[in-house]
Amino acid sequence: MKRLGLLAPIGWRNLWRNPRRTIITLVVVSVGMWSVLTLSAMVQAIVTSSKNTALRQLTGEGQIHAPGYLDDPNVSRSMRAPSGTVLAILNSSSVAGWSTRIRVPAVIQSEYRSRAVMLVAADPTRERTVSDIPGQIERGRYLLDTSDTGLVIGRELAARLRTRLGKRVIVMAQASDGHLAEYGFTIVGILGGSQESLNGFVFAARAPVQKLLGMDDQISETAFASAPGANIDTVISRLRAAAPRLDIQSWQTLAPLAATLESVSQAIVGIWLLIMFVLMAIGIVNTQLMAVFERTRELGLFQALGMRPRSVLLLVALESALLVGTGVLLGALFAALTIWPLRNGLDLGRYAESLAHYGAGGGKLFPQISASSFFALSLAVWLLGVLAALWPARAAARVSPVEAMSHA
Amino acid sequence: MTAIVSCRALTKTYVQGTLEVPAVRHIDLDIEQGDFATLAGPSGSGKTTLLNMIGGLDRPTSGEVIVDGTSLAGLDNNALADIRLHKIGFVFQTYSLIPVLSAEENVEFILRLLDVPVDERRARSREVLHQVGLAGMENRRPARLSGGQQQRVAVARALGPKPAIVLADEPTANLDSKTAEELIELMSGLNQTSGITFLIATHDSRVIAHTRRHIEMTDGRVTLDERRNRAIAA
Repeated sequence: MKRLGLLAPIGWRNLWRNPRRTIITLVVVSVGMWSVLTLSAMVQAIVTSSKNTALRQLTGEGQIHAPGYLDDPNVSRSMRAPSGTVLAILNSSSVAGWSTRIRVPAVIQSEYRSRAVMLVAADPTRERTVSDIPGQIERGRYLLDTSDTGLVIGRELAARLRTRLGKRVIVMAQASDGHLAEYGFTIVGILGGSQESLNGFVFAARAPVQKLLGMDDQISETAFASAPGANIDTVISRLRAAAPRLDIQSWQTLAPLAATLESVSQAIVGIWLLIMFVLMAIGIVNTQLMAVFERTRELGLFQALGMRPRSVLLLVALESALLVGTGVLLGALFAALTIWPLRNGLDLGRYAESLAHYGAGGGKLFPQISASSFFALSLAVWLLGVLAALWPARAAARVSPVEAMSHA
Repeated sequence: MTAIVSCRALTKTYVQGTLEVPAVRHIDLDIEQGDFATLAGPSGSGKTTLLNMIGGLDRPTSGEVIVDGTSLAGLDNNALADIRLHKIGFVFQTYSLIPVLSAEENVEFILRLLDVPVDERRARSREVLHQVGLAGMENRRPARLSGGQQQRVAVARALGPKPAIVLADEPTANLDSKTAEELIELMSGLNQTSGITFLIATHDSRVIAHTRRHIEMTDGRVTLDERRNRAIAA
């Protein structure tokens, strides 16, 4: 510590003996740091937006099914509604919302055409706690309650069926006893948005569909979402322990594309960090090698005066630590000043519709980076920068005092 | 008198390819405590090489150097650095101050390496700066000091830790006549008043005139070792 107190001021002053070179290096490091943090926040915003958009359609953060349902989503693979411990977990503070559904393959038939679809019947009130679909009505309304006899379909499906709001359509599906059940629904709502995947679904209230299919109070699935700050994996572990015979999966299994997007985005940030670090390291090493070369005699003088080679290494390493540390601090400050004003959302404006195709819905992105990631990335860049500078530091420590003092 | 430095059969041979170049040949020499000695000779005579070996900056090919009772033979780089720190003061020809430190900080630098407490080292640094005639210039950095003033700071820094010996290599080489004269008179005065031992490598006749012991080297050998009752220049 005593040596640090002696050498740190010398190291700091040495940085400013060539202000232009130091400023250039600071710019390189700070811009690199700013870009890593800002890119991380923006990528996280896109990933979160995409993930939320995907999960807030039908997936939720987790689902409960009867065994075998995911491989064969048929009416025979149904289960009872949640009860007991499972119900207690779903109603706990770790879960923001949950909804039971019937989801079976069906055929929808209009006056002109018919199409294969997936019939989804749910409790409309509960559905709003795990899905954004109820809020995506373009025309008409969403379902009112569990006994509503209306049907909600997507805009594009309506166009393909050549039907519209207020028209009757027939929905046919296999009932629990195996016969083909059919029911005439009135279209009460048309979904908007650009989620093409929703065009393969039709939405009804739970009670009429249970009656149609002879399911009594059985359901096909329960979808749930974790509360902010809660760990979805913990919720799933608890559910699995409470209901070992049921098939309980997280969104990573149910929505592999969203999971892949998250992994890929982390890899992108990692690759960018690597590229930025290599560029910064080149700048840092070049700066410090030049500084060591220019100060060969001075470094020899230090040893001649009685400073141990280790202390010479420490001096050069300290200079690098101060240089990189200052650049990292500046970059982190600029990144904070960039990200903080966007915390209420970056309006995508005219790009919103294009980006929605990539799942970034809502017209806004919310750049975000956790405090731990912010500090971890900053610390990583600083440590890597200091490590890179150990090479010129070792070169400095190996200088022979006699050779150094005779250096021109 | 006590020998501060003893050289026994000291030899240094440089190898350049297949050629061996002897720089110092089998020197036996004692520098006594209180000596104010010059080490003179033409370029290539080996005086700087000898000074470097005495100061632990260079290792002899054979022979031994004993500084203030400690043999430098077999010491590693850290131990040699410690010897230089505790026992030897250096004044070099050029570039001998740390440019980012003020005069006082340059003197304190050695004292801080010796872990001298802050109050003591401040008092000592001001004392030696006063001794070399630089009172009032403590806060000036080398760039704001003349060549002569910089060498005075170098002398002050060398004296700060009260070393066993001060080794000076051509300290007046880059100074004008008047400044060189003042510097050597300063060093001579310090030797007489404080009893500090000086060994000065030089071919400056003005410096030689002030010494009471004059050693000459030629082709790596001591050819003259003359003690005078008094300096030629008073």
